[in-house]
Amino acid sequence: MNIQQLLNGLSLGSVYSIIAVGFALVFNILKFSNFSHGGVLTVTAYAGYLIATQGKVGLIPTLVLTSLVGGMIAVLIERVAFRRLRKSKSPVIFYFVSSITMGILLENLITITFSSNFYSYPKFFEKTILRLGDFQVAVTDFWMFVISLLALSCLMVILYRTKLGVAIRALSMDPSTTLLMGAPVNQIVVATFFTVGVLGGIAGVFLGINYTLYPQLGQMIVKGFIASVIGGLGNLSGAVMGAILLGLLEVFLTGVEGIGSGLAPVVIFLITLVFLILRPQGIAGKIIQEKV
Amino acid sequence: MGISVSVLVFTCISIIGVSGVFLITGLTGMFSLGQASFMAVGAYTSGLLVVRFGFSFPLAAVVGVGAGVLAGLVVGIPTVRLRRDYVALVTFGFGEAIIAILNNLTQITGGAMGLVGIPPITTLPFAALSALLSLFIVWNFKFSRFGRQCIAVRTDELAARSMGINADGMKLLVFLLAAGFSAYAGVLYGFYTTYVDPGLFNWTRSAEWIIMVFFGGLGSVSGAVLSAILLGTLPEVLRFASEWRILLYCVIVLAIINYRPKGLLGEREFFLPSGKKVRVEGGKP
Repeated sequence: MNIQQLLNGLSLGSVYSIIAVGFALVFNILKFSNFSHGGVLTVTAYAGYLIATQGKVGLIPTLVLTSLVGGMIAVLIERVAFRRLRKSKSPVIFYFVSSITMGILLENLITITFSSNFYSYPKFFEKTILRLGDFQVAVTDFWMFVISLLALSCLMVILYRTKLGVAIRALSMDPSTTLLMGAPVNQIVVATFFTVGVLGGIAGVFLGINYTLYPQLGQMIVKGFIASVIGGLGNLSGAVMGAILLGLLEVFLTGVEGIGSGLAPVVIFLITLVFLILRPQGIAGKIIQEKV
Repeated sequence: MGISVSVLVFTCISIIGVSGVFLITGLTGMFSLGQASFMAVGAYTSGLLVVRFGFSFPLAAVVGVGAGVLAGLVVGIPTVRLRRDYVALVTFGFGEAIIAILNNLTQITGGAMGLVGIPPITTLPFAALSALLSLFIVWNFKFSRFGRQCIAVRTDELAARSMGINADGMKLLVFLLAAGFSAYAGVLYGFYTTYVDPGLFNWTRSAEWIIMVFFGGLGSVSGAVLSAILLGTLPEVLRFASEWRILLYCVIVLAIINYRPKGLLGEREFFLPSGKKVRVEGGKP
């Protein structure tokens, strides 16, 4: 692996890491795998495209507006798919089915509105290549890395330095005690979903820039899953590590003779399996056990 | 009537697939988002054996189902002992991997263009008989010792374990059975349409099967069959565009989960033989 691949892998991994963290946050508080996050990715990727082409704005305003859209969609998803389930204290598998359904629903809404045509984002920058000494980095890759890093740092500040963050972490440990302490659980859950939607919006725009736009783009959520499995399900720093590792691995595998981008998913699947056999708790985490 | 033979055959095929998903999701409470890829394994293995190697159909079908079960073993062994979320994740990843393999081994599988020239062998009576047979197996499984153990595992795994039920073993058994069912559905599918391509076996098909099980009622075989028939034929009869059909499914499922979590039939069955009642009083699915 050379330095060039390392740089590309880092930028890819940073995008995966905001997907993985968005996924892990919901897992933390509600304890289920949130497939609807893929739907958020798809919708925001298209929303970002519309904002960028219709509004003719640069990358940063596009990101800000799209992340707001993402936040609102995620809140809407919580309202439609999970609110009643939480009220009736439904078993986890209902959340799961609900989130899968939501994901498919959003994907199909996009398919119907935009048909299966491919779209691509406008070019945001005049110069496309940035030179760092002997190495070249695509300008969008560079911004992806910087902005993802920024978003993750903001999240960490929110989680560890604000009242909301304390509430979210308390909720992830024990919902009923949090409620007994007088914390407004509903509002905290909504706020978490908003945060997750914002992260999803940023990831959606980046995915749209990186690949062309197509309705199945949201299935990139599987990268977030794999990263979480490698890092430890529901563990935020583990998710980031897993995602960076996954990005590096993908770039590296694509360069290997005989594997290429086509067969890379196969190798990654096998690596995930090996990981599950050898270290099911992930790099960082403790495995979450069902409690009585 | 307006229902063509092909709709009926596809309904029979999805009944077979849904009976597998019923075992996994309805009885045991796991989620497989890769059932369609076991279907792909069955369809491609048997199709390739007949087209490229001149096997006879029955032998190819048996090998195809065997390959599906083998794939189930590879996916199942590392995952069943973990939290249930992992089953969904890993089966999803397995689906991606299978599609990638089928797309890339162009010389063998025909790549994205698909595998053509499979002889048409599946007929409506054959498909219907297969569907009945798989229902017979699932029905007996549900009311056997195994079925009751599965329901115990689904309802409360920890309690089931403490009662001495081998939960991991049960989960693996169910997983393998379902993989076999899916693979067989794939065999029938390939030998009906005479053509398969990787795009047919994406995760939305797997999710569609899960949705059918939920629609019918989580613990009910009759419900699963009923919803496979309803959701399979209704849109064809009413001539919805296929994309609106999926949308309709999603809305129905959201409504059911929110307002009638038991599904159409709940745990109930049609034609329940006397003395064979499985009751899960107050049990959470």
